[in-house]
Amino acid sequence: MSTENMSTKLDRRSSKHAKWNLWLNKFGVYFMVILFIAFGTLISDKFLTVSNFMNIIQAVAMLGIVAVGVSFITYSGHFADMSVPVIMAFSGIIAVGAVKYGIVISILLGIAAGLSIGLVNAFVIGKLRANPIIWTLAVAFVMNGFIRWAYSGNQIYPDVESKGNVAGQIFVNLSRMNVFGSLPLMVLVMFIVVIIGQILLTKTKFGLQLKLIGSNYEAAKMTGVNVSRTVGLAFILSSVTTSIGGIFLTSLAKVGAYYNGIGYDFNAVTAIVLGGMTLAGGRGNAIGVLGGVFTLGLLSNIMTLIGVDTFSQAIVKGIIFIIVVGINAKSLRKLGRDDA
Amino acid sequence: MLNIIRSKNISKWIDNNRIYLIFIVVFLLATAFAPNFFNLFNLTNILRGASLGMMVAIGFTIVMICGHMDLSVASTLNLGAILVIGMQPRFGWTVSLIAAVLAGGIVGIINGLLVAKAKIHSFIVTLGTMTIVQGIIYMYSHGSSINVTDFALADWIDKAVIPLLPPRVLITVIAVALFEVFLTRTPYGKGFYMVGGNKETAWLAGFNTDRYLINAFTISALMAALGGALFSISISSAVPNMGEKGVSPLMIVLAATIIGGTSMAGGKGSIVKSAVAVIALGTLFNGLNCFGTGYEVQIFASGLVLAIVVLYEAFALYKQDRLRGQRPELLKELEDGRFKKI
Amino acid sequence: MLKKSLVLLLVLTMVASLFAGCAAPAPAEAPAATTAEDPNKKNLEDSLAIDISTLKGTDGQPLILPMEKKEIPARPADPAALPEEDALHWYDMEFAGWSAEKINIPKSPANGAIGKKVVTIINGDHPYLTAYSNGAKKLAEAYKMDLKVMSPNWDLNVQNQMIDQAINSKPDMIILVPLDAKAAVQQFRKINQAGIPCIASNMLPEDEGMKYVIGWTGPDDWGQFRLLAQHLAKTLNNEGGIAYIRHAPGGSPFFARTYGPITELKKIAPKMEVLDMQAPGFEAEKTMQVVSDWITKFGPKLKGIVAADDSAQAIGIAEALKKANRTDIVVYAAGNSKVGMDGVKAGNINAITYQSAEADGAVPVLMAADWFNGKEVEPVRYLPKHVITKDDVDNYMPAQW
Repeated sequence: MSTENMSTKLDRRSSKHAKWNLWLNKFGVYFMVILFIAFGTLISDKFLTVSNFMNIIQAVAMLGIVAVGVSFITYSGHFADMSVPVIMAFSGIIAVGAVKYGIVISILLGIAAGLSIGLVNAFVIGKLRANPIIWTLAVAFVMNGFIRWAYSGNQIYPDVESKGNVAGQIFVNLSRMNVFGSLPLMVLVMFIVVIIGQILLTKTKFGLQLKLIGSNYEAAKMTGVNVSRTVGLAFILSSVTTSIGGIFLTSLAKVGAYYNGIGYDFNAVTAIVLGGMTLAGGRGNAIGVLGGVFTLGLLSNIMTLIGVDTFSQAIVKGIIFIIVVGINAKSLRKLGRDDA
Repeated sequence: MLNIIRSKNISKWIDNNRIYLIFIVVFLLATAFAPNFFNLFNLTNILRGASLGMMVAIGFTIVMICGHMDLSVASTLNLGAILVIGMQPRFGWTVSLIAAVLAGGIVGIINGLLVAKAKIHSFIVTLGTMTIVQGIIYMYSHGSSINVTDFALADWIDKAVIPLLPPRVLITVIAVALFEVFLTRTPYGKGFYMVGGNKETAWLAGFNTDRYLINAFTISALMAALGGALFSISISSAVPNMGEKGVSPLMIVLAATIIGGTSMAGGKGSIVKSAVAVIALGTLFNGLNCFGTGYEVQIFASGLVLAIVVLYEAFALYKQDRLRGQRPELLKELEDGRFKKI
Repeated sequence: MLKKSLVLLLVLTMVASLFAGCAAPAPAEAPAATTAEDPNKKNLEDSLAIDISTLKGTDGQPLILPMEKKEIPARPADPAALPEEDALHWYDMEFAGWSAEKINIPKSPANGAIGKKVVTIINGDHPYLTAYSNGAKKLAEAYKMDLKVMSPNWDLNVQNQMIDQAINSKPDMIILVPLDAKAAVQQFRKINQAGIPCIASNMLPEDEGMKYVIGWTGPDDWGQFRLLAQHLAKTLNNEGGIAYIRHAPGGSPFFARTYGPITELKKIAPKMEVLDMQAPGFEAEKTMQVVSDWITKFGPKLKGIVAADDSAQAIGIAEALKKANRTDIVVYAAGNSKVGMDGVKAGNINAITYQSAEADGAVPVLMAADWFNGKEVEPVRYLPKHVITKDDVDNYMPAQW
């Protein structure tokens, strides 16, 4: 009975705990997804069907596309992008305006429009180190005013009626198109974005640098990481996926308008944090974010199936959100990782 | 040498008082150019409109001084608003006002406990409570707006008995003044800055940091609920979705607090400056509206003010950051060639 | 020291200029008082001679159509005690304004509408309200009135300030689109107490608020949705389950566009069933999710959907139905935006209500003009009711917004 023996025993136990906690932190959200699916199957025999799951995924596809992009920002410890709604509105309205030049140009110009906002954010936050929330909020105000002024408060429509205009019809169909038989294009794009995001975050130098910046900005800087460029890139990537989401949203709504995308800023953060990313940065991954997005979709689906009214749905969502993030934070603290 | 010191002092003075300068510039421009702007009636109107934001800004600033964020203020003020009107017919004004404010306080205590004890990020906690409280408001009001038919209090609270200061504004101004004194003159109040500046140091120095956080969130929710309640009293009715569409009071208060010089990192800020910033934004809106410009110009202009302030701050820090670790006087000596001889 | 003296100086100049500013407006009013009898009469004659019947909306329909009449039943003793499925439960919401006793309404000057200063305060920014403002401006132009439109962007606090600002600019008339039916009471009271004539528009205020205004004009939401419900019942042969996508909570459409059809169906087709009602907001993807969930939950029981909005909500419904291949489900919505009319044309929506945004904006200005001209003004003017279907949708194109 030596103390040595005891300590190794303790070590082993704590490491077992640590592994569990680490796993919980990384993919714990899927644990919840499975829980929800089990619950859903219990309450309704119509729950566990392909069509129902397709509905859920399609409903959250746009949020997924946006959230993966924003998660780069969260991962780097820069919280969130409050300019998400205006980026979506702006890219959509520009894309609608450019539909007459052909569908490819329309989409490219739409993304470029969103990207231009992203570039400004990248410079001001990456280089000048402005507070991300406040700066993007200011951008949201300014761009919101600008879009309203530029279109004098009107919404604009893609031209789908005139005979020769194929581009307009394709634009409207973007969000309605199926590829490979019955897979909606939106969902395909979401999975592609998630995969690219996952690779970027975990397998590339950029992702590692981002993790380092998120964990400790000063340390990252001292080790010679080009912090302004890396953080800037995170904002640029976010603006690109947000623009893609914005174009899909505009295509679905069939109008380009300044109010498109309202609510996506906080919804994206909700999904990201549910997916195991911490606002302190440096933790989580894109697949987890996808899980967070699924969770939101499942939650709405199940509650509507049970027949919960809109108002109670909000309350349940809020409570689940706090509990889940609380458990995650606790597991991280037990690991001694941080007090995220 | 003297010149340098003086210019440094002046720029520091400008830095410290920039919100007053912004306010004066906006005010003078509006006075000079906007029709129907400069008269007692309109100025009272601005203060009346700003009093809701000022009340919310008190607690919001304290939370931010602690280095945290309270996203739930908009829902909490709505809760205060709907409860005071909903309970008035049964319990009368006094009881319902107290109950409404206390209900807000409960939200604050929950926020504070979750942030301080459960150690969940304040952004997340308050994002969650924001949704929950909004749901509760809808359930309480069945999604409808509610009103009372007793206008006596509403008339009194918005009537300018003292020029420029109707009771609602007066209450707000007194609250701002009291909390400013509390925060800057009392030892307990100064603790908030300690907790926000460096939590560890504050804890080591014997401050109960958890208690401070809980108090900060409670004050924030109490003041938001009070502000909302006073606002709804002034219109004898309450709607369940204030700020759901358009720009929410949260965003205005957040913008004003930052323009007023409070740092999101914590440890720095002033309630009076936040309040003046709310008035400055109100003046900007009002002045532009006097011209008959649309809402888009108003939101554009306020965004621009916010952007300029953020850029200015960021740029100052950026310059400071670049000089960090450098010893200009040594470099200068090197240039002078004093070391070459060695 | 420098700081203190500077602040003192500033405060002093501000106070001094404050008094200067207060004194200034007084002499400016003087010339207005010296109006002689003659120009008034000529102005009235000129105003009465203006013909607005030729004005057309951008959709090609006449801007001003004959106003709708509506039968007013007797008020039950306690409407709130009746069940929600009973139309009379909503009596106070639907029939506000008809029986209100007017208080302190200024007397018409009866000196013509030309040159009158009118301030319209709308409730927020929305393409509908952009079209609304255009309609209002068109009519004001015809009457050569000076019209100013303010928008508080859905913020009650800002709207209150704008009302004060409007009062402060001493117009001849204020037209207010309230943000909320109940908050409107105190708003109208304030305008009334300032002695400025006032007209309520679009959103019907509480009965209490109608005491303080000359009149109200706007769409008859309840009536429109009854009409829609009758059409719906006929299409479905008076049977089947209906689900409701509601308007955003906090306004009368939240109730009118859900309980209007519910109460009507209860009366004319008691076999029809209310399955569920949800308020997912005006977002296509959220509505799509809700409707998909409904299809999963209710299956073939779901026969029809009534939506409060014919653009984003209707698109979400159409997408969900298409995915589930449920073309048998009928869709009815409030109209009439471009997206909605395209939907009717494409067969995604069975019918929408006709609600001309431009007329909605123009009619209160017309009411103001009538009042300035000394004409008799009725307390409530409803916009014409109509249900747009595939057969006549082309008459209403191009859409106003």
